[in-house]
Amino acid sequence: MPTARTQDLMRFLAERFPLEKFSFRSLVQKKEVPLHKMAWAYYLGGLALFCFFIQLSTGLLLLFYYEPTVSDAHASVEFITHNVSGGALIRNLHTWSSSAMILFVLAHLVTTFAMKAFEKPREMTWISGVVLLLLTFAFGFTGYLLPWHQIAVNATKVGLQSIEEAGRYLPGELGKLPGQIKELIQGEQSVGQATLSRFYALHVVILPFTLCALLGFHLLSVQLHGMSQGVDKATNKTEAFFPFFLLKDFSLWGIGFLVMFVLALCLPFESFFSFPLFQPFDPLGSTPEGIKPEWYFFFVYYPLELLPFWFIMLASTVALGGLFMTPWLFRPANRRTLAFLACAAALYLIVMTVFGQNIYALFKGSQ
Amino acid sequence: MALRVAILFGVAALAGRGAHAYPEFQRYSQQVSGRFVNCAMCHVHPDGPIGLKPGQIGKLTPAELGQLNSARGAFLPGQDVMNPILNEFGNALLKKLGKKRILELRLQPDQLADAYGYESDIDGDGVPDAHEFLQGTDPVDPQNGAPWALFTHNLRRYAFPHLFLLVTATALGLFGMNNLLKWFHQTMDKGSPEPGATGTKH
Repeated sequence: MPTARTQDLMRFLAERFPLEKFSFRSLVQKKEVPLHKMAWAYYLGGLALFCFFIQLSTGLLLLFYYEPTVSDAHASVEFITHNVSGGALIRNLHTWSSSAMILFVLAHLVTTFAMKAFEKPREMTWISGVVLLLLTFAFGFTGYLLPWHQIAVNATKVGLQSIEEAGRYLPGELGKLPGQIKELIQGEQSVGQATLSRFYALHVVILPFTLCALLGFHLLSVQLHGMSQGVDKATNKTEAFFPFFLLKDFSLWGIGFLVMFVLALCLPFESFFSFPLFQPFDPLGSTPEGIKPEWYFFFVYYPLELLPFWFIMLASTVALGGLFMTPWLFRPANRRTLAFLACAAALYLIVMTVFGQNIYALFKGSQ
Repeated sequence: MALRVAILFGVAALAGRGAHAYPEFQRYSQQVSGRFVNCAMCHVHPDGPIGLKPGQIGKLTPAELGQLNSARGAFLPGQDVMNPILNEFGNALLKKLGKKRILELRLQPDQLADAYGYESDIDGDGVPDAHEFLQGTDPVDPQNGAPWALFTHNLRRYAFPHLFLLVTATALGLFGMNNLLKWFHQTMDKGSPEPGATGTKH
């Protein structure tokens, strides 16, 4: 005889994973997409998925030449860029699409929040989406080290140092945990071969498999529940997911690919940075100026440079906890309030990403 | 073996005396461009010519030390020398201007670009070396340059056939997709008992 708690759990799971909808008819033939002023936001998740496909295909091609050793990693990346036919294009496509993927994932999260798409019964879809966002950041962090150039190694050192520093603010034995996590990731005293091997394993095996599994769960969940209503006043205008929405999605993918291909062909990502940052890392040499993480970490990097560490740690913990608890914390909120909060979050992300350096210079004098 | 190493280091140390990078140019490039620049703009090693690492004087073979001394004597422009501590841009500067003129320009680093001229583009990225010097970018790396200059140059460079074919393929794909959508609309509207009902109205 199942207890009341077990029954509650079974009911919860049955509502989140309605197996009766697990049919071709329900998942494909009957699926409808609402049409309203925010309907464009339904395409953002698909664009992020498309960028992931580009990441997979270009990443696989890069694997043919990349060598994950501290002595050869940089030279192999240089070889890809300068000697392999189409190597520079593939590498630039990998870099541009990684940035685009993070951009679309963030935009997808913000718009999903504004549209209250986390409402019951979509809590698990939301949570899996937040984990996917974190995995995407992990992809960025681990991939950044692989070329083994100055900015890669030094920025990774700074990132790992931040993890260890968190231990200073934790009580008792708990304070040792961040240091142990750092050691686990780093694998040796300083960032070296063990770190590169671990980041490589994470970037090309562990994270892709984890992401694929979670992505499968996320997409299945989306298909089972259908697209969320999206606006406060329900619309009776809809279009069939198959074929209309899907074909429009593919059209957008085509345009997205065109834009990324042109950027990859004509505008090397590295051209935005000072060239000494891309010289091979030399542990005994001088460290060039301008070491900083990828642009998508600026929203936490610049505040970290300006404000006390404990404050950023506290704010990050609250923000992350809030993200996971969103379906319950914001259950009573209407979409107008959510849209306001989403706009504020987007504004913060844009301002810190675009003007973070200026804000830093304003308070600290110079970069 | 130990004796050979000692002699080699001794020669290297002697050759190193009086060998200086010219930081005036580096400082000027950094100042006008706002980008961080290091010795690798003209030298093989990013930390400059003095030291024991690859591309530095202490690491040169006797033959390379001979080349270094010949290059140091190239006071007049046009001499066909190859300084092993300099990269292609550094050597091109030496060949074009001669060491005497380079030493003079140390007092007026703002005139280096004009003196060198804007014809040479060693890495073939469409940005002349002199502009790369002024913009603080790497004159020997086609992946590094002022973003807008690189973008416009590469757009022109790859306009045909690469970009033309890509844009044509995308346009044809979108055209086909659009027609497919129209066909689906027509088919579904014909099959639907109530045209405009949920699921087919747009």
